Amino acid sequence: MGEGVSDLLAELEILSPASAPVPFDRVELERRARRYLSALGVRAEDERLALSQVVLKRVELRIVVGQLGDPLEAAIEETHLLLDQWLVAELDLDGDSDALSAARAAVLGGDVAGWTRRWAGLSQASLAQTIRAARVSAVPERAPLVMDANPIELCCHRSGPRLLARVGRLLGIRGKSARSNS
Amino acid sequence: MTSLWLAPVPARHFHRPIYFSLVILTTLFTMSLLSVAIQDDGISTLELVLLILYAILMLWISASFWTAAIGFVRLMRQRLRGDRAAAPPRALDAGAFKTALVMPVYNEDPERVFAGLRAMYASLEETGEQAGFELFILSDTRDPDIWIQEEMLWRRWIEDLGEPARLFYRNRVENTARKSGNLADFCRDWGGRYRYMIVLDADSIMSGETLVEMVRRMEADSQLALLQVPPVPVNRSSFFARMLQFAGSLYGRMFAAGLSFWQQDTANFWGHNAILRVRPFADHCGLPKLPGSEPFGGDILSHDFVEAALLARAGWKVQLAHDLGGSYEEIPPTLIDYAKRDRRWCQGNLQHARLILAHRFKTLSRIHFAMGVMSYAASPLWLLFLIATGVEAYLKSLRVPVYFFGHNVVPIWPESYVVEMTTVLWVTLIILFLPKILALVLLAVDRDEARRFGGLRGASLSVLIESLLSVLLAPVLMLFQSKFVAAILLRTTVGWPSQQRGDHQTGFVEAVGAHGIHTLIAVVTGYAAYVYVPDFFWWFTPVLAGLALSIPVSILTSRTSLGVWAKGAGLFLTPAETEEPRVLKQLEEKLADPLPLACASTAAQPLWTAAMKEPCIYALHDSLLHDEPQSRRRRHILEGLIFQLQDEGADLLSLREKRALLSHREGLYLLHTRLWAASDPVAQTPRTG
Repeated sequence: MGEGVSDLLAELEILSPASAPVPFDRVELERRARRYLSALGVRAEDERLALSQVVLKRVELRIVVGQLGDPLEAAIEETHLLLDQWLVAELDLDGDSDALSAARAAVLGGDVAGWTRRWAGLSQASLAQTIRAARVSAVPERAPLVMDANPIELCCHRSGPRLLARVGRLLGIRGKSARSNS
Repeated sequence: MTSLWLAPVPARHFHRPIYFSLVILTTLFTMSLLSVAIQDDGISTLELVLLILYAILMLWISASFWTAAIGFVRLMRQRLRGDRAAAPPRALDAGAFKTALVMPVYNEDPERVFAGLRAMYASLEETGEQAGFELFILSDTRDPDIWIQEEMLWRRWIEDLGEPARLFYRNRVENTARKSGNLADFCRDWGGRYRYMIVLDADSIMSGETLVEMVRRMEADSQLALLQVPPVPVNRSSFFARMLQFAGSLYGRMFAAGLSFWQQDTANFWGHNAILRVRPFADHCGLPKLPGSEPFGGDILSHDFVEAALLARAGWKVQLAHDLGGSYEEIPPTLIDYAKRDRRWCQGNLQHARLILAHRFKTLSRIHFAMGVMSYAASPLWLLFLIATGVEAYLKSLRVPVYFFGHNVVPIWPESYVVEMTTVLWVTLIILFLPKILALVLLAVDRDEARRFGGLRGASLSVLIESLLSVLLAPVLMLFQSKFVAAILLRTTVGWPSQQRGDHQTGFVEAVGAHGIHTLIAVVTGYAAYVYVPDFFWWFTPVLAGLALSIPVSILTSRTSLGVWAKGAGLFLTPAETEEPRVLKQLEEKLADPLPLACASTAAQPLWTAAMKEPCIYALHDSLLHDEPQSRRRRHILEGLIFQLQDEGADLLSLREKRALLSHREGLYLLHTRLWAASDPVAQTPRTG
């Protein structure tokens, strides 16, 4: 029974294929993609144009495979994904999400000159070294030590209840535990 | 064997016997005086209670008195001998080991935190030894805006330093076990990287020279696990804080010298401005939860005493470096803030009552625990003592003296104990006030030092005013602390509010709210005493005056203008003011020139919403989070929060919910893309008040 419910809930997460093409405003989509690119730091018109065209193509592909959802959200997601894929390729990252995240922070933080040109495919000069140098690690490599709780044996901390229980027994009054045990 | 007996015993073996003998003899002496005075015809129950209370309180104040007196003798001897030429300091071997400067923070003002760290780092750079140190900001901050601000300041400082490997930042997902848990987690994750860690508070400042010297001393003694450098209070401007800063600077060094005399290798940890050997700390200072529920069970709140006791129990040395300067802290600016801080500390100290008799601790550690308890329990005991004295005086006033017994024709005059009672009073007053005079004597023999305190005349006047105000403030603090102790005994727990550290002033409404009850108590008690025990009333006036004047005193002493005026008039001057240390100047400079935040301007939006939307801040924040296993349940919760945020605005989200939205990469990404996909990203920025 439990599995049945799980299966039902799991279905909720599967994106259902669109039964009909999702209408979207291509102009608005491009405008939104360009605005987002601008916020990412892509200021040059030719770079924005190149990148927004790639983003639009990827959104159109999602329509074809029926996984569009909200078109504008898809445009933002694809732009984000495009940046991540470029960083992975540029730095030759192999699934290290922390390294990718640090690289993204480095380029978006403005520490890598010329990265937008390279991302837009308008520059051949590799920026791998510069990006690696600009990546900042918030914490060093782990160097763990074991730190377990040290026992502190309190004196007499149970003696109060014990004393009361003993007095109770002497007086013929049975405590809760005695009742529950009987 | 014979030679062993004849071998000279090192003088340090006599330190503790000397100190404790003096404390006990003083207590016995005053007790004997009081008992003679009160047991004129046997001893009643009330008189017995009075004697017991007086014995406990006299033990407490004579312990403090003899600490100061011994400190005075040590400092005086040091002065008379003159400074010996010190050997040139050895450079540290930066390659051999590293020292972490760790600053645990919890919702503190990030600009002050970073200004302090930058000042210390600049001071460290001046020593040329910075290569051996790394800075760690151990954030337990829960407030989302402060969290993001900390990250942005950290990032910006990294850029400025150009040495990213020396400055680290982490925010704990769960702030388990508060500050001690924060430090423990640091050791669990990175303890193996460091030989030492210097623990700082958010308002700590330490000079580079002191930091380096602390490491040097640890290197010189491989059995030393903890070295505490007493912090001197600085940097506040209110009258109240300047008065405490003066007292802390003038009397503090005497007390520190006295403490190190009798504590020796079983000193205490004050929670910050101390260096710890990391490995023994990790091995022995993992704190258990105490059995039972709060306020006496659960997490150990005042962890520092317990950590010192655990190190001592394991055979490590814990010392107080009374001779090291360059260690500073900031204090609460007003009487009410001071009391609030006491409220937080009170529960932790009272919890130590359960540890006094715990197995395997050293005797001196037990005494530290008992003293910690007494620093708060003394107030209700004084209160009880005053009440008992009043009742005893009232009962005595009801008695009609009988001059003729049986067939005696000569009247039997009642015996007078005025001499004994007056001696008791004078001895008590001497014990309380003599340390202040001893501190002035130290100034009198050292002109340079006197000049640093504004000259002997200015310092004497300051001591006089400080003593008078202490008399007025003592009963107020007594009532505050008695209330806290009562609340805790009634099982009310304290929260973990961050401290009010910056200068601010007490308003009339706040003062009436806090002290109205004190004034009322003064009026009612004063009236009752005046009507029923008029003789007692006059003895009682210092206490009544403090309570009756608590509202105006609290307001006036909180004034920064009055504090600044006193400074101009040469009152309450401290060496940190007259010869401002370089590191404090650096702190001022850094506060005047704060770090700009990393990433571009975020317009007027709160930082936590900027972290969802502005790509630069979003990416920075995301880079400081970590991947977690996917969980459908968490995704649904996050989506629910995102809908709530979009539909109802940010104002309806609690701090915890806001923090949850910022704590997971998954949710942050969802928010970021949805905000940018919204029809007008600017308008769709979550509404905030």
